[in-house]
Amino acid sequence: MTGCSASSNPLRYKEGFSKEVYQLENGSYVKVCMQCGVCVVSCATRQRMDYTPRKLFMMIRAGKKEEVMRSNTMWMCTSCYTCKARCPRGIPIVDVMHDLKSMAIKQGYVSYPQAAFYQAFWQEVMARGKVFEGGVAARFFLKRGLGEIKNAFGMKDMGLTMLKHGRMPLLPPKTIKGMKDLRKIVEKAQELEHKEVR
Amino acid sequence: MHYSYYPGCSLEATAIAYHKSLEAVADALGMELEEIPDWNCCGATVASGVVGDFTQQVMSSRNLAVAEAKGNDVLVACSSCYLTLAVTNKRFKEDEHFRKMANEALAAGGLKYNGTLKVRQVLEVMANDIGLDKIKARVTKPLTGLKVAGYVGCQTVRAIPWDFDDPEHPVFLDRLIEALGATPVYFPMKAKCCGSSHALAQPEIVLSSCRDILSSATEGGAQIAVTPCPMCQMNMDVYQSKVNKDLGTSFSLPILFFSQLMGVAFGLPPVSLGLKHSVVSPYQVLAPFGAGQ
Repeated sequence: MTGCSASSNPLRYKEGFSKEVYQLENGSYVKVCMQCGVCVVSCATRQRMDYTPRKLFMMIRAGKKEEVMRSNTMWMCTSCYTCKARCPRGIPIVDVMHDLKSMAIKQGYVSYPQAAFYQAFWQEVMARGKVFEGGVAARFFLKRGLGEIKNAFGMKDMGLTMLKHGRMPLLPPKTIKGMKDLRKIVEKAQELEHKEVR
Repeated sequence: MHYSYYPGCSLEATAIAYHKSLEAVADALGMELEEIPDWNCCGATVASGVVGDFTQQVMSSRNLAVAEAKGNDVLVACSSCYLTLAVTNKRFKEDEHFRKMANEALAAGGLKYNGTLKVRQVLEVMANDIGLDKIKARVTKPLTGLKVAGYVGCQTVRAIPWDFDDPEHPVFLDRLIEALGATPVYFPMKAKCCGSSHALAQPEIVLSSCRDILSSATEGGAQIAVTPCPMCQMNMDVYQSKVNKDLGTSFSLPILFFSQLMGVAFGLPPVSLGLKHSVVSPYQVLAPFGAGQ
């Protein structure tokens, strides 16, 4: 209950972090949240979250950076979009979660396995313009290191099953012809986005 | 009817059966699918979690920029690709500032997108372009007596809520199942999440989600389930044995793409429908309809 425990000490809101989040692409929506909790009852993985989305939003407003950034909440999101479809204030909650993931990765809060998966997926896209599922898995396990090896063995059977059924190619797809241009496009997009934030 | 077809990465690998069966069914219905030349990954619901919405949307819009010259509607099969491309397209159409910025980025690769295309999910095209009557008329082997769970999943109907079908209680897939002569079962979890891409990072999320969905489908009496989503198909099919092993269940429910079931009802050669790619074998259930092993 780190988020709202009662105490006789004066509450100090640290605005810096709230402002940092409001600058994210969908971050300013956090201000609009009226704390109704519809997102919570809609969420597929709320029981696994350190804080529900509603609570996380309140903690962002209260400036609790470390608690928010070290929480698993955004990483548990499955992008099922139920919260976005239901939010009475029209907040794209799932998109805010994506922003928080991106911010966490940029600032090095990457202890959850999902962070490694996200990075592995993106590296795969930037390698050849298409995602090779075997490549994502390989990059993921390399990133996670020995700690994940038991998990890797559990997953090996799934990989072999798919191989046996002809749905797991051994070789990655060919790099797209426009890869050079795609990289330029992505670099330019990143540059423009940073400029926009400033 | 001509479409610019965007298969997406899954349809070249784990969801190869979707690719094969969709092409066969489209052909049988007189749809011309032309793959977008040199298409790239849309970023799914992952890329924005690394580089943000804007960069992902610009990246996925490269496909739309390439397809724009033809002017045909963009047909998307994968639910995650549909989500990304449809939302990107909507922003191009409605947000002038976004369009200007995105085109500035696209220009770095010599491209431009004016936002003139329509991005369409294949189920919606079946509903509105082809229509149930035409689908019904094409059926040569009605799936009479077959009880089917129509598993729509999340992103197909929640990409742009209310744009197509009900975002939480979708009905079109059930109507399609009926048109094939089969019986859609009562299936309250038909639009619930399968756990999506957590399969690698935290498989227990996928396992428990799939258990709940499989329970819901089998309680309704389903002999088979169909879906329009590569992620849903993979999680429910490939991980079904692990659900049974880890969570003490005993499911044996074949999970097909809806296009595979259409192909069976159309009497298309089973080999063209990629049934062999299913991990939970559908042959026994489909044998009465000419699609046994």
